[in-house]
Amino acid sequence: MEEIKDRVLQVLTDGNLDYRQKKHHLAYIAESTQDYPVISKEATEALNEKIICDLFEGNAPYRPRYVLPDYAYALKNGVNYLELEPPTNFDEAINFLSILYIQVPSITGYSVYLGNIDTLLLDYVGDLSEEEIYNKLKLFWRFIDRTLPDAFVHINIGPEDNAIARVILRIERELKQVVPNLTLKYDPEITSDELLLEANKTVFEVAKPHIANHKMTTSDFKGEYGVVSCYNSLPVGGGSHTLIRLNLKKITDLHSGNAESFISGTLKKYCEMTLDVIEARSKYLVECVKYYDTDFLAKEGIISLDNFSAMFGFYGLAECVNQLMKRSGKELSYGKDKEANQLAHLILEEMKKIVDARELPYCKGNNGKAFFHAQSGIDIDIEESAGARIPIGSEPDIYTHINTVAPHHHLFNGGISDIFHFDETVKRNPSAIVDIIKGAFKKGMRMFTFNLSNGEFIRITGYLVRRSDLKEFREEGSRYGSALFAANSMDNANVDNRVSKRVISNEQVASKY
Amino acid sequence: MSKLQANISGIIKSSVIDGPGNRMVIFFQECNLNCMYCHNSHTIGLCNLCGTCVDTCPTNSLQIDSKNKRIIHNENTCTRCDECLNVCPENSSPFYKQMSVEDIISEILEVKDFISGITVSGGEVMLHAPFLGLLFQEIKLHYDLKHLSILIDSNGNIEQEEWESLLPLIDGVMLDIKAYSAKTHKQITGYSNEKVLKSIEYLNDKNKLKELRFVLTPNYNNDESELREIARLMKSVSPNVGKTLIKMRNHGIRKEFSFLREANTEEMNFAKNIFVQADIDILEI
Ligand code: SF4
Ligand code: SF4
Repeated sequence: MEEIKDRVLQVLTDGNLDYRQKKHHLAYIAESTQDYPVISKEATEALNEKIICDLFEGNAPYRPRYVLPDYAYALKNGVNYLELEPPTNFDEAINFLSILYIQVPSITGYSVYLGNIDTLLLDYVGDLSEEEIYNKLKLFWRFIDRTLPDAFVHINIGPEDNAIARVILRIERELKQVVPNLTLKYDPEITSDELLLEANKTVFEVAKPHIANHKMTTSDFKGEYGVVSCYNSLPVGGGSHTLIRLNLKKITDLHSGNAESFISGTLKKYCEMTLDVIEARSKYLVECVKYYDTDFLAKEGIISLDNFSAMFGFYGLAECVNQLMKRSGKELSYGKDKEANQLAHLILEEMKKIVDARELPYCKGNNGKAFFHAQSGIDIDIEESAGARIPIGSEPDIYTHINTVAPHHHLFNGGISDIFHFDETVKRNPSAIVDIIKGAFKKGMRMFTFNLSNGEFIRITGYLVRRSDLKEFREEGSRYGSALFAANSMDNANVDNRVSKRVISNEQVASKY
Repeated sequence: MSKLQANISGIIKSSVIDGPGNRMVIFFQECNLNCMYCHNSHTIGLCNLCGTCVDTCPTNSLQIDSKNKRIIHNENTCTRCDECLNVCPENSSPFYKQMSVEDIISEILEVKDFISGITVSGGEVMLHAPFLGLLFQEIKLHYDLKHLSILIDSNGNIEQEEWESLLPLIDGVMLDIKAYSAKTHKQITGYSNEKVLKSIEYLNDKNKLKELRFVLTPNYNNDESELREIARLMKSVSPNVGKTLIKMRNHGIRKEFSFLREANTEEMNFAKNIFVQADIDILEI
């Protein structure tokens, strides 16, 4: 009790947090007084040691981690709980969505998915001129940024070229907001080159949208999908109960044999343990909290338990592979050497097999299996590279990079991302990026994300922050929840200047969250 | 395939500054001008195996292979200090390689999915016109490559007949005009510019001139009359030809030309104004 009192006081008196952020952290502390869903002693230890990481979802899951409301369904049928009739024009539609967004639960407190916004709104355009659409959407965009101040809040456009998608890109370039994060679904057979070019020009200004390989992702889902939070792809009208990730570096540290026995022994054991945690948390949410029986979104058919599954994530592949190589007496590294790349691929395929073999309760959204996800990292990852990424600073040239990672992108129905860095000169020639994206997708990449050197926006592991916000946050706090995350990330990883500054301890971050 | 070989000083597999889209750029060794501000002066000459670089290399990474008339370079011990390039009396380099059309095609095949096309550059690439003819034909006949665009980056100092057979195979030429007055041209490049001016006119007539670039070099080609002549020349070609005003940068130029000075903002604006007055849409870089 004394310890909890201290933690509460620390939050109450932290001048870097605003009122809402404090409330959020207080709720987290309150939740931590509950017992964790029932798991084995070994799994509990693995969680404590951060071998398995639940990304601070809390001890007692009372809402799913990722909720993707079927906004089209809601717009068509209205929402009783919120006393909202189906909208009949553009203004009403925007107003309807604005209200609904605020009500969607998530781990961070802010909805992680705001819909495929161009297709949602196209039906309501009527005879509005482009300028009118622009004026209305600009206010809508400002509303989103100010009321949902979290870089994990994600909106989608595409794959069809349309007036709304183009206006949104224009607004993004103008407003330069961190929120919402943005993905363009791209299919060379549907999306026009002009829209892709517009998207790339926007990336130069605000480091978004990400470009998703629409054809590839669609084939992984029964119905519609959305890209949410940090490049997670999930079913619309559903989502994910939880995301639990396995630290491949740490389990390699624990392992004492060669690569072969790692794959058949240690890796398998910990994958199963991660799946145990996923199962326990999903059950808690469904059976104990009865979220899907009680929340209005589920009751009104805007989400359905049948469209939910859970996510199995991992990180630190690079460190795992490099260490296994070293143990076999080879100074070969992931991203550079063929043999290391092959081992990486083998490990990923094995994990995918294990995940696909495990039948999980309440995971109908993915045929009873968890979604496999290369988790793009958070601030406490000091020694581990995000997901299956090549460590920052040792990325090879762009083609080698793409050829190294593209062959395993197909495995990740839950999403994966690699970040490609470009020099400022590319701004004069945006069609060059179009060429590279097309090539990358041809090679089997699922998602394309890039950063420009010296941009005002910096991509931290998976989300965006403004350089100036980071600086300000250090000095006086920020409106964006993710700036805190990012400030820690910048200190921990070699993200920006490639110089490691390991200034804070994990415990401090965990207690802060 | 032909046994013809060319001296290739380098290949860049992804360039965003050598024409539209992402391009592979192939650099050929040897040039027929000797511009004071050349940033890659080691691509001007051919190696005569004099051995100066071999003796200078601090890591003993170079060796003369007299039987095959070439220099062997040990990439593992080389520290990229560039000493060998600085001492070469021939403005050459021990690094360039002989490559066949086949060799280059296989390099292009590796990156074909990622590029809009290729750009050949130099040195002066038109010194290798017969080789280019074969290379381009091979590209146009290749099922996986025929969609690629082909651009030539040249100084234009070449006889008209060298262009003729290449034109049907290429998308365009990016060409420099270093100075309009023959005398100034000679000062800057060591050679006169009759052939260059003819190439510009010819390529423009044939609709193959893609870009015309002018490098502003203070004290040489920045007086008003010279600039007006350049503007007149730019005006005389099709409005579809891209025009670029480039600020000479003295980064990486040879020591003996270190007296060259970069234009200041005022000088750049002065030049730009003359082009704008002549109603030329010009890009400044
Ligand atoms: S660049 Fe390499 S080969 Fe040339 S002098 Fe330096 S070490 Fe020797
Ligand atoms: S590269 Fe230059 S210095 Fe070296 S052997 Fe050839 S000509 Fe002589």
